[in-house]
Amino acid sequence: MSVDLDKLFIYPKHWVDEDARSFSTTIRQWADKEIISDRLNYQQNYTLLFPEKCRKLGIDIGLKRLVLSEKYDGYGWNSPSYAPAILTAFTEIGRGDASIGLANALDYAIFATITMHPNIKDDLCDALAPLYLSDKLKTSTAILPGAGINDRKTPLFRGMSVLAGIAADDNEYVVSGENLRPFGFGKASDLLCVVCAQSSGKICLAFVPADISGVKKGLPIKQTGLDASENTDISFESVRIPKEYIISRDGAVEELYVWLNLLLGGVSIGAAMNFFEILTEWAQSRTIKGGIPMKENPLCASVLATVAQEITCARLLCYSLSQIMADPLALRGIGGESIYTIARMIGSSVQDSALNALNRGMELMGSAGYAREWHVEKHWRDIKTVQSSLCGVAADIPVKMDIARFFYDCKEVCS
Amino acid sequence: MKHFDDFSRPLEYISPMDKHLRTVIRKWADEEVLPFRRRFDEDWKEHKLIEPAFDKLMGNKGLGLQKALFPEELGGWGLGHSDSTFMTSYALSEEVGRADTGMAVAFLVTLWPLTTILIEPHVNWRLAKEFAPMFCNSDCAVFSALTMTEPQGGADIENIGLLGGKTLRTTARLDGDEWVINGHKLWPTNSAGVSKLFGVPCTTKLGSSDLDDFAIIFVPTDTKGVSEGNPYEKAGMAADKNSDIWFEDVRVPSWYRAHGPVLDAQTFVEVIPWGQVASCGFLTGAMLNLYERLYEFVSTRTYCNRTLKENDAVAGVIGRIAGDIDICRILGHEAARIGDRRNMPFGNELGSEETIAKIRNIKDFISDKSVEIFGRAMDVLGAYGPDREWDIEKHWRDVKIIQLWMGGKQLCQMEAARYFFNCKTL
Ligand SMILES: Cc1cc2nc3c(=O)[nH]c(=O)nc-3n(C[C@H](O)[C@H](O)[C@H](O)COP(=O)(O)OP(=O)(O)OC[C@H]3O[C@@H](n4cnc5c(N)ncnc54)[C@H](O)[C@@H]3O)c2cc1C
Repeated sequence: MSVDLDKLFIYPKHWVDEDARSFSTTIRQWADKEIISDRLNYQQNYTLLFPEKCRKLGIDIGLKRLVLSEKYDGYGWNSPSYAPAILTAFTEIGRGDASIGLANALDYAIFATITMHPNIKDDLCDALAPLYLSDKLKTSTAILPGAGINDRKTPLFRGMSVLAGIAADDNEYVVSGENLRPFGFGKASDLLCVVCAQSSGKICLAFVPADISGVKKGLPIKQTGLDASENTDISFESVRIPKEYIISRDGAVEELYVWLNLLLGGVSIGAAMNFFEILTEWAQSRTIKGGIPMKENPLCASVLATVAQEITCARLLCYSLSQIMADPLALRGIGGESIYTIARMIGSSVQDSALNALNRGMELMGSAGYAREWHVEKHWRDIKTVQSSLCGVAADIPVKMDIARFFYDCKEVCS
Repeated sequence: MKHFDDFSRPLEYISPMDKHLRTVIRKWADEEVLPFRRRFDEDWKEHKLIEPAFDKLMGNKGLGLQKALFPEELGGWGLGHSDSTFMTSYALSEEVGRADTGMAVAFLVTLWPLTTILIEPHVNWRLAKEFAPMFCNSDCAVFSALTMTEPQGGADIENIGLLGGKTLRTTARLDGDEWVINGHKLWPTNSAGVSKLFGVPCTTKLGSSDLDDFAIIFVPTDTKGVSEGNPYEKAGMAADKNSDIWFEDVRVPSWYRAHGPVLDAQTFVEVIPWGQVASCGFLTGAMLNLYERLYEFVSTRTYCNRTLKENDAVAGVIGRIAGDIDICRILGHEAARIGDRRNMPFGNELGSEETIAKIRNIKDFISDKSVEIFGRAMDVLGAYGPDREWDIEKHWRDVKIIQLWMGGKQLCQMEAARYFFNCKTL
């Protein structure tokens, strides 16, 4: 039986306009046709099929154009008011494949820092938009603050170490840093958005095309999930970038986090929704105690209920975040303290819920949930990978410190 | 704390062999497993890397552990008549589990079906003699499997107290002095061509819940009519191969049945605590390794320019993780000790409702804690959490199935409710 996900996991549809809904329907069709009905093949041939599936979504359907203004041949969703719409789209992508979700979330979040009203950075858009929209599929990744290394005092972004440095030299900037871990897709990415620290300690974003001299990519990293995202550590040996390739306005790094929390929230919820579809079918057809349908057993039903509850609440929370983002001026912009804190708080809670939905639901599926062929374990690994990566370091402590600072006006904790 | 060995365990329970066994297995793990295990996932189908390590653990050219349960006079170590069989099994499970829980399950499951015929007071000498050479005289690892799970569900088969084996579809028919077995099994550890011997739970009367009709029959895997599928690809546990098994008019001598009516069902009930205690050992073993790896990370990486472990908030998280490991290890040993008390005046029979419920309960608790703390530890590592180099993510993938196997979590909860609240109609 196929379930009508939007009737079950309701969301405030009036926050998403007709065009955006029909765009999301197209993505759902893409996910059904390109991924869900072809999962095994896709899973066994990521190297070949990932670029192909991404191209269909990004170029044929036009996902990549969303974040760009009409001036660059984009669809002009470059205003925060589109946050609910873009969340809807990313939920559909996540339902298909979280790796594709992450690739696009990174693209969108990174470009949002330069294309989004009211902070459009024309010079950088002029330089990067044509590259990004070229026929050859381009991907980008972010290098965010994270764990520091003992005995090395580093500049901090809200307690997390910023290991990349940047310094002005004539008309250029020079980026340096060793073995830095990207959020994902380190191997394939063409554009690196690096959170860097200037010698003054000021934190900024540097846009580094990956083919510039001095950018060194390491060996592939084997990781828990997001199998299509081949990651690797990246070093910058005195990499020179044009002056306009950095953003040093206040709140830019925060914005990146806000968008990533929203979009990856959507991706994980989408993955959990696809798990819900699989679980529903399982619980309807599987019998226990010698013949009772699993879903009619009260103990199993209560676990099934937890799964649905986690997904529903997480989805609603994410939409609340998107709606808050949609009217940022009241809250001092997307990179402002208030939206940043709410995004981190909701982002962390949504990932927890999505993972809990998987963890609990898998209890009912016995070995099937653990076998590759059922595709449940894939969603479980993918969501966990997103969750840990989004933490950065120290589990949810950095988020808790952000919250504590905001709500209790803490001055000194881990800043 | 100086070492992961300092995690608590009730020292007065520890078996005399414990120290020696742990020392040799730890050496084996350090030399044969830890340097290679990050490549085990890619070796799931071939076991090219994994097999030599098994040989050194189980076969005579290594530690020879596969013969542990067989009586001394048949070339074994006589663990089947020890008063510390459970505690020793726990130590084995924990040490191998620290290295790799997939290897731990493949090794311990080899002993699992044999518990039905080699553990006092149910020793079947004729079968012991029959199968001793297979395990005691081999230089290489020899595996066996306990094939319970069937396509329609494994939980109901393990739920023998409630269903009495009525959902079993694998049948055994006596034809002269041979059993003729037909059926289809799924998922047993050490299937996909790994084992030489299967212990096959089956029914002598389809649809019967009469315990007389429940049988455990041993089937050498080279018997005509036995076929196995290719290994399944899984989220983890690469060192354990699992597949379909088909029995088509498979004939074995009538005396290959473990014991006979009623006693087969009884020994099957007793198999459950063995599996649960070993599962606890796998989990606490993996937790010990989690501690080792996490210790390194939180001692060398920083948050707020302070070593992670020296930040109060992070210390709160890792303190809880270590605290949970400590408690789980005590509980795991308690589960083993419940098993070993079976022969003592103040103990309970292995198949008693109390033993089953308490051991299942402990296994359920430790499983839940494992899923939780491995996930939490990955988050402490953050961007490095999903990275295979830090080993924790592999354990995270591996331990999830320990929570789900052997009938699943809900069966454990039901057993606990039935016992602790005297539920009558669940
Ligand atoms: C790595 C690995 C190793 C394994 N090793 C072995 C092995 O050595 N031998 C073997 O036989 N099998 C083995 N299995 C299979 C495993 O034990 C079974 O998958 C497990 O027992 C659950 O059975 P099932 O998958 O058929 O699920 P089902 O029997 O369909 O059960 C699914 C779920 O239904 C629910 N449920 C069932 N009964 C009840 C109830 N009475 N009340 C409430 N809820 C209930 C539970 O949530 C349960 O998890 C292994 C599996 C794996 C992945």
